[in-house]
Amino acid sequence: MTSITDIDAVAIPKRKAGPKGETVISVSGLTPGAARYSRMFDFLVVAAVVPLFAGAFHLHVMLTVGDWDMYVDWKDRQYWPLVTPISMIMFPAALQAIFWVNFRLPIGATVGATVLLITTWLGRYANWWIWTGFPFTEGVPSQVIAGALLMDMALIVLRNSLFTSIFAGFAFGFVFWPSNYSALAPFYLPVEHQGMVASLADMIGYTFPRSNMPEYLRIIERGTLRTFGSSVSWVSAAFAGFICIFMHQLWWQLGRFASQTTFLKNGDVVKSFMGMKSRPAS
Amino acid sequence: MSDAALDRTPNVTGTKTLSINYGLFAFAIVALTILYICARLYQQAFGFSMGLDASSPEFGEYWMTLFRIELPVLYGAGALCWTYLFLTRDKNIEAITPEVELRSYFYLTMWLVVYSFCIFWTGSFFADGDGVWHQTTLRDTPFTPSHIILFYATIPIYLFFGVGSFVYAMTRIPAFCRGISLMHVFAVVGPFLILPNLGFNEWGHAYWLTEEIFSHPLHWGFVVLGWCALALAGVLMQIVGRFRELVPIVFKQEAASA
Repeated sequence: MTSITDIDAVAIPKRKAGPKGETVISVSGLTPGAARYSRMFDFLVVAAVVPLFAGAFHLHVMLTVGDWDMYVDWKDRQYWPLVTPISMIMFPAALQAIFWVNFRLPIGATVGATVLLITTWLGRYANWWIWTGFPFTEGVPSQVIAGALLMDMALIVLRNSLFTSIFAGFAFGFVFWPSNYSALAPFYLPVEHQGMVASLADMIGYTFPRSNMPEYLRIIERGTLRTFGSSVSWVSAAFAGFICIFMHQLWWQLGRFASQTTFLKNGDVVKSFMGMKSRPAS
Repeated sequence: MSDAALDRTPNVTGTKTLSINYGLFAFAIVALTILYICARLYQQAFGFSMGLDASSPEFGEYWMTLFRIELPVLYGAGALCWTYLFLTRDKNIEAITPEVELRSYFYLTMWLVVYSFCIFWTGSFFADGDGVWHQTTLRDTPFTPSHIILFYATIPIYLFFGVGSFVYAMTRIPAFCRGISLMHVFAVVGPFLILPNLGFNEWGHAYWLTEEIFSHPLHWGFVVLGWCALALAGVLMQIVGRFRELVPIVFKQEAASA
């Protein structure tokens, strides 16, 4: 019987230790000059991709579920675990498609989720705290890194967008609540306020009011939800998972569309105008 | 993996170099960073102290003056740059050498990096500041301290580089001259349309929504147009595809001398 050690010894030839990265470059078949410029180009592509998706993704989240994400007292059990993951799966799903279909890199969702969290905290610090004086405890953002990791892991294992949507899309929505709970649990502690029960998050909201967003506009836990006990969060999480299945597939396709390399043919007049000499008629 | 595969690196003594100038690119990134930080510091200094009452003389002095300066300066700079790019275009673009073409792809990617850098400051940093400003203060004008920076300074700046990248590509790179890159159109025109979409936004705020719910459907026009930024992936794929073809051609001599 062949042991694993024997297989390794046959499959991996011994090589002399060289400078860092030498093996990678040698496998690529590039000359040193080409490899050097290829690395520079890689750096430029990363520098173009990360801030762009950070800006577009953050804008998307702010303008679709911003209020739930911005304020700790909007993080209820009915709408926040539902609308936030549905919005936040969109860009990670598109980025997953862009990175996987074109480069076979299973990192798109995690990259998207991570840059979103970094840029969100940057805004919380520079704008919310330094400019308008809201405490960090009022502006704790949601994070979807756990769900994004699950999505990328599922893609590695399943290697199929449809199954990734079904299993990992659901998981993304479903784990949103528990993966955020550890950071938010202290804010759900009950306190007495003017003879009424309120949460600590509510108290922070009352203490640091948003003067242009009156309290009656806060969309939280309407209906009979408060009487349902502790299981309601999981109901919202399961519903979010269900919607996220479809949202993942929809945005996966949008990501594929966005990375297509179509050129629409220019007419001779435009080409000539831009500097292309027309060919003589044959 | 075989030894043959691992030993494909030619033993080259002299490495070929492309003359790529990173100076202007680095200058743009540094200058823009300083500009954005200065804009934020100006908001910090004069936002609450001079920017709460649009009818006050100090509002006119500190904020409307800035508005009246930044609009012609930024759009004027953009128009000058785009005109310069067009007038200095290669008049025989099909005849450029692979080395020049490869260099042009590098420069186009640099244009896109700066464009993307500006999108970050606009879509994330200053939009976030706009959100917190309008949930804190009542607006009595469409030209608020956050809008004067976000809509009338940072958007013209990213238009400068977005449209600039488009003109650069069409006048310097054969593939982008032969045909219009559909994704490049989306990536530039989508964020550009955010500016006219302001009309809808301010119209809604002026008549019905004095209170600010940031995720209100009134704002979703910005969202859909922001999605177009994803199309930059398609432009980068076009660049990567041609880059892979050009590199072996440009570095052929280096490989041959091995």
